[in-house]
Amino acid sequence: MVHGGSVMAPDAELALHYAREMFGRRGESVRLWVVRRADVKVLDDPDLLQPPLDRSFKKPGGYVMRDKLVVARARSGVAKRTATDR
Amino acid sequence: MTDPLALAPILPPGSGGARRFNEPTLTDDARQAAFEAHIAAGGKVEATDWMPDEYRASVLRFVEMHANSELMGVLPEREWILRAPTLRRKLALTAKVQDEAGHAQLLYRVAEDLGKPREAMYDDLLAGKTKFHNVFHYPTRSWGDVGVIAWLVDAAAIVAQQALRDCSYAPYARTMRKICWEESVHIMHGRDIVVTLVNGTPAQFAMVQEALLRWWGPLMQMHGPRTPREKDRDLHWRIKAKTSEELRQEFLGIYVPRIRELGLTLPDPELRYDEEARLWRYSEPDWDELRTVVTNHGPMSQVRLDFRRLQRAETAWVRATILGAPVAAA
Repeated sequence: MVHGGSVMAPDAELALHYAREMFGRRGESVRLWVVRRADVKVLDDPDLLQPPLDRSFKKPGGYVMRDKLVVARARSGVAKRTATDR
Repeated sequence: MTDPLALAPILPPGSGGARRFNEPTLTDDARQAAFEAHIAAGGKVEATDWMPDEYRASVLRFVEMHANSELMGVLPEREWILRAPTLRRKLALTAKVQDEAGHAQLLYRVAEDLGKPREAMYDDLLAGKTKFHNVFHYPTRSWGDVGVIAWLVDAAAIVAQQALRDCSYAPYARTMRKICWEESVHIMHGRDIVVTLVNGTPAQFAMVQEALLRWWGPLMQMHGPRTPREKDRDLHWRIKAKTSEELRQEFLGIYVPRIRELGLTLPDPELRYDEEARLWRYSEPDWDELRTVVTNHGPMSQVRLDFRRLQRAETAWVRATILGAPVAAA
């Protein structure tokens, strides 16, 4: 689900039809929702959403094993595999 | 508000509007036939769509078991948060436990929409009426277990979960995309732990080797016994895409070489790749052990369930406060 955009309409019924014209004309949408702007609760506090701390352990890129794998393979004597490894 | 399906006639065919089985004027047989055809053609089903009772029950059983496993699966690893060897490992393990608890919430939410209240799902789990995955019924004896679980248990799980991203039940398929991404982080975290131990002192190497020997049996049992493709109703409904044996073969194909290159030994003398048959050969997993364990007779089954029972009792006042508020005000 992604935010398609906004429309101006007097009621929900017409808002759906406008939304269909704006965001469903080329088969790009399977379903459309409309919500009154006043009913949307927003969280945009960067301290909560983009905290300034190192959280790399939560991402695949936070684990770089290339050098460790070289050491481990050398120790075990098993030939280096050709498949891609981090 | 207008049901978006009311707009169906003006949407192009195949865009989700033309689901004949949603037509209430059709007979049940005709709806069933239209539904079968929709699924067979690779169509998706949404929570608000009509669906046959058998399909609803099958998806519910599948998702509920998955949710139970995520909920119970945090317990073996949780025990090691306070004993993690470094601050970074402690943060990573805490994040993993949080992720898995979050997966349980996402999945119970998907299951709830299929008609079974969340409280009923907790009740059934704690009463032993529904199951959770075999691998979470075992103790975690060392830090080596934490690495082996995060790397290989999660890897065996992700092999199955990746195939679920194409599940015919769309809310589950969407949820699996997020879950698979997070599981891939867990695998990196686990492999990093294992590789670090392998490169460490002889005692550290022995620790991870010992853990691997203990976990190999449960890992080989995890996907379940071989079942004929044509008899599997979950495959028929396209809830899942692969048989248990296909999943096990895929797991072995990727991970046995990665385990062996580290100089680690696997306990199965029969384990080898048969070039001619293009299959992994292995000793028959202990299916009696699997049955014993998943019916809550595993070494830690009751301890883990007791912990959940205690935790549920201790947090009852929170639910009562939140859910009871409107009642009290009325």
